[in-house]
Amino acid sequence: MKEWLRQFMASGELFIWGCGAGLSLSLFMIAGLMVLILINGMGYFWPADLVELTLKDGKHVIGQLAGEDVSPKGIPRIRMKIGNRDLYGLDYRWINADQIVERATPADLVMVERREWGNFYGRLKAILKEDQVVTEGAEDVWKALSPLLSDTEATEGLNPYSVLLVEANGKEKVLAFDQVLRVLRPNDLSTLEKVWVYMGNIWTVLTTEPREANTEGGIFPAIFGTVMMVMIMSFIVTPSGVIGALYLREYARQGVIVRTVRIAVNNLAGVPSIVFGVFGLGFFVYGVGGTIDALWFSEKLPTPTFGTGGILWASLTLALLTVPVVIVATEEGLAAVPREYREGSIGLGATKWETIWKVVLPTALPGILTGLILAMARAAGEVAPLMLTGVVKLAPAMPIDGTWPFIHLDRKFMHLGFHIYDVGFQSPNVEAAKPMVFVTTLVLIAVVVTLNLTGIVLRNRMRRKYAGSTV
Amino acid sequence: MNVPPLTPVPVLQGEPSPGRGSIPTPALVGGLFSRRQIRSITDGFTRLVIKTGGISIILCILGMCVFLVKEVIPLFLPPQATPVESITLSPLERPATPALAGIDEHQELAYVLRGDLLDFVFLAEETSAISRIPQQGLLPGGSVTALARAFGKGHSLAMGTDDGRVIPVAIDFVQDFQGDERSITPSVTVGTPILAAPSPQAISRLAYQSTDSEVRYAALLRDQHLWLNTVRTVSRPDGTVSASTAQVDLTPDISGRVTAVALASRAELLAVGTEEGQVYHFDLRDETKPVLTETTQSSERGQAITALAYLMGDRSLVVGDAAGQVVVWMPVREHAATNVTHMTPIHRLASHQNAVTDITISQRDKGFITTDSTGEIRLHHSTSEQTLLTLTPQQGAFRNTYFSPKADGLVSVTEHDRLIRYHIANPYPEITLATLFFPVMYEGYERPELVWQSSSGSDDFEAKFSLTPLIFGTIKGTVYAVLLAVPLAVLAAIYTSMFMHPDYRAKIKPTIEIMAALPTVVLGFLAGLWFAPVLERNFPAMTGMVLVTPFAIALSAGLFLVLPASLRHRIRPGVEALLMMPVIIAVVWGCLETNAWWDALLFDGHYKSWLEKTLGLNYDQRNAIVVGVAMGFAIIPIIYSISEEALTNVPKNLIAGSLALGATRWQTLLYLVLISASPGIFSALMIGIGRAVGETMIVLMATGNTPIMDWSLFNGFRTLSANIAVEIPEAPHGGTLYRTLFLAGLLLFVATFLLNTIAELIRQRLREKYSQF
Repeated sequence: MKEWLRQFMASGELFIWGCGAGLSLSLFMIAGLMVLILINGMGYFWPADLVELTLKDGKHVIGQLAGEDVSPKGIPRIRMKIGNRDLYGLDYRWINADQIVERATPADLVMVERREWGNFYGRLKAILKEDQVVTEGAEDVWKALSPLLSDTEATEGLNPYSVLLVEANGKEKVLAFDQVLRVLRPNDLSTLEKVWVYMGNIWTVLTTEPREANTEGGIFPAIFGTVMMVMIMSFIVTPSGVIGALYLREYARQGVIVRTVRIAVNNLAGVPSIVFGVFGLGFFVYGVGGTIDALWFSEKLPTPTFGTGGILWASLTLALLTVPVVIVATEEGLAAVPREYREGSIGLGATKWETIWKVVLPTALPGILTGLILAMARAAGEVAPLMLTGVVKLAPAMPIDGTWPFIHLDRKFMHLGFHIYDVGFQSPNVEAAKPMVFVTTLVLIAVVVTLNLTGIVLRNRMRRKYAGSTV
Repeated sequence: MNVPPLTPVPVLQGEPSPGRGSIPTPALVGGLFSRRQIRSITDGFTRLVIKTGGISIILCILGMCVFLVKEVIPLFLPPQATPVESITLSPLERPATPALAGIDEHQELAYVLRGDLLDFVFLAEETSAISRIPQQGLLPGGSVTALARAFGKGHSLAMGTDDGRVIPVAIDFVQDFQGDERSITPSVTVGTPILAAPSPQAISRLAYQSTDSEVRYAALLRDQHLWLNTVRTVSRPDGTVSASTAQVDLTPDISGRVTAVALASRAELLAVGTEEGQVYHFDLRDETKPVLTETTQSSERGQAITALAYLMGDRSLVVGDAAGQVVVWMPVREHAATNVTHMTPIHRLASHQNAVTDITISQRDKGFITTDSTGEIRLHHSTSEQTLLTLTPQQGAFRNTYFSPKADGLVSVTEHDRLIRYHIANPYPEITLATLFFPVMYEGYERPELVWQSSSGSDDFEAKFSLTPLIFGTIKGTVYAVLLAVPLAVLAAIYTSMFMHPDYRAKIKPTIEIMAALPTVVLGFLAGLWFAPVLERNFPAMTGMVLVTPFAIALSAGLFLVLPASLRHRIRPGVEALLMMPVIIAVVWGCLETNAWWDALLFDGHYKSWLEKTLGLNYDQRNAIVVGVAMGFAIIPIIYSISEEALTNVPKNLIAGSLALGATRWQTLLYLVLISASPGIFSALMIGIGRAVGETMIVLMATGNTPIMDWSLFNGFRTLSANIAVEIPEAPHGGTLYRTLFLAGLLLFVATFLLNTIAELIRQRLREKYSQF
């Protein structure tokens, strides 16, 4: 046994397994993170069944199941999303399993999405028109409700109707129709219908504006802001990155200076993003923006126009942050163009520029694209510099709209990454906001991972293509 | 088809060159330039564009550093003082008349009170007009023997007369806007005289303060009696006003001739300096019973105390003596458990050559101005313990000097009846390298400390800008992240490059690269809102995991080896990592399930109280472990990629040689590959550290952001980067905080730039070395 142990240690197998464990652990962490975000993010949209619990003390609880665990005292318990924030003051509640007498999913339970106070869970009782009961009884109300509600959307004015709701223990609540967004009976839906509602929910989140301090509603302005910011940045970063790389690789005399510059540019990619943010604030916002204000918008001072954070300054800052990425990738692409191509072109009498424009650049295009896509991915995920240069939790107006001059580069904007920070850490009711944060995270990761995968695939393809040529 | 010439050398003329007559001339385009000309012009033009464009883009990028430096430098520039005016006032008959000078906050209108003559000087760029209000002087009878100024808001003065009266004088500057033009008119209110002592005598020294409801002054009479007077006015709801007066003789408490008297701005403290160099500190909160709290020997050589003043905030007392020494005294608590304080000399500032005659304080910060008997002016700052300026106007001694309300100028009235004025540019008096990086003795502290506290609710709060706690936080976060990330990433890299089956290798690398692209805000959010509570609930289980994992690895390796050979050979080599996956999942799941058992086993059933009892540590939910894990997660991919590259690039013929000579995989790795790749792994570490140092969102979201200095795993910290993100939106442009945050940014820039450069140089050398094989 002793001998075996000695051999076992000497062979190093143990350590090889240790190395393997290191890799497994890293992969496990990534996989776990992705699964966590996916489950939490996607689960948010699912119209889960409403459960009605009858407790030992005779009270009822209506809500959606939101997890189970064992309490510190060792009693199994379940977590319910009980909604009705206006009545209960909290969104979630722990209930010990031994308190539950009965668990049911009656079909007449409704989930009311409304403009304020989050969801309402309970039953329908009556429809009122200016305090007069029009319809009564859960079934009748349910039938009469949807035509009246769609009416609301059509008239858009003051709706005289309101609905009388009852929560689990019989407390009543009157809700005006213009507060109601949607009424659902999740327990009455078939799986197919639930899938339909699910898709609808995803669509709503992606296309509507946020409500209730960003914790409900959609994230459209944030998606729009992110995309627009990344696009403006790309417009700036592509030409400057390519010109920089062309100069370094094709025109500059290769020597100590260019090598030093190359290392410096390379290293800038590793400088913390917050430093770029600080620079953006000092140089673009206060420096350039302040000067523009003083020259052309002096009538509005002291209210700043460009002298405050805005989408243009944020894009410029991120362009500066990502230009090293584009330069490095483009240089790599230029270096990978086989020497024979250039020699052939020059040999046929083309000028240097013609060689670059017609031969080198098209061949290096995948490299440039890779750089651009990686830059876009990095820009989409950065938050710290934006916090200093123009991102806001709630932008009053989009950077593009119908008023002259249509594109407002001085406006502040919303951003998915900042939305995560703001909703998750700055909102008054973090617990209720969590699902929204997960959804935003999912969207952001989807954008970033898609961009990155494209970049990686492009780069691998390019490497394979030129692997045989002498570089 | 025409064959163009083979050389790209531009041919500028469209005519056939000699000797090539046989080659057809290209057709002229537009009759002006030949196609060839256009091509060569285009070539030259683009060369120019790309060269200038490229250079300017690169300069732009590199200019960032220059800009950061440019924003930081003003913090360390010495303050500037420029003499603006020197105006001759009408001469007085009596040379030794007391005088006070003052100026409004815009520095447009100065006043000089000499005796009872009040002159207003309208400061204009070309000529300054002087007018006396009222023409015949403020007093109908008697002569002024002492003057005093109340520090704080507004300009309230007091005159003490030779018949023992004290007369308050309030000067107001009324601003009037007509269009964009601002005009300032002075208004003077002379209050009712109050008798300073039961038996009237000439007043030789006066200290005076007034608040909304009361006037308090200490008057030294010619017979060396010091009387404290408090006049309190109470307005009743019915509109009547009643005044109550308290008069106390402080002389029994004091021995020696009184040479200086100062009241604090809220008039709750009184300091009396004597000829023997002693300072008597009185507590005046009960105006009828002033308490002598302490007597200090404030001048070492028994020199007379010649000037006293309380700094803004009423805690520090500046003491000037006949030898020219300037020392700031502060109340310091004996120890943490008591409220008993002792006045202690804290800051010694550059001495004058001659006796200090006057101390005037800044209403903005802990700065003050001292003047001496020969007419030298010094500007000091108490907290940063520096003497910022020394001015010698050569105008003779001063009767009085006044620090303008915005601390951007001073006016003095000289003994030769001249008013001189200086502009002072002194925007950052509190910043020195010492205050930024070393412990500083602040008011109210027991010992010099390193504090970052940029704002507070109270008015006379002094901002504390020590970057050291933030640098400490940055290092702490980085260390914990690196402790987690480096072993994992390097082991994973070793495994992928050396042992893993090539089929899987191609899939693993992109996965890890995706991990590198995860926005850090996502990691921060998960760390702060998901992992922190999970860890808090399952801390014992997590500790268990750390303990169990090595055994689990050893066990699986052992089990694999004792498998029957026939079974073992069916498994492809290089799949250990895959086989480990279920083991790791089992360990994680198993430990989480047995959380309570671990708690009982390791921590007596309740880990938080165990930590507090045995180690004296508090458990915060958002702590260094959470940040370490999240930030480790963020830097694993970069360390992994670079070390993997270094390991893979070790020449294959070396490895083959080692294996052929009979070394095992492990020996080859340990004695050959690791050694040759170690510089690469080191550079991976550098770059990883660089990332962790500047990471913002993770630390912002996953720690409590409290700037404390403590290595404990279980509490939070604040890093340079998170500090910038938290504070800069509130920092006024160009202010001290703003520039200090720029300095923090510059530090981050320099640190990461250096780390990355070192890493890059090492990698380049390594590449050159490998290319020899």
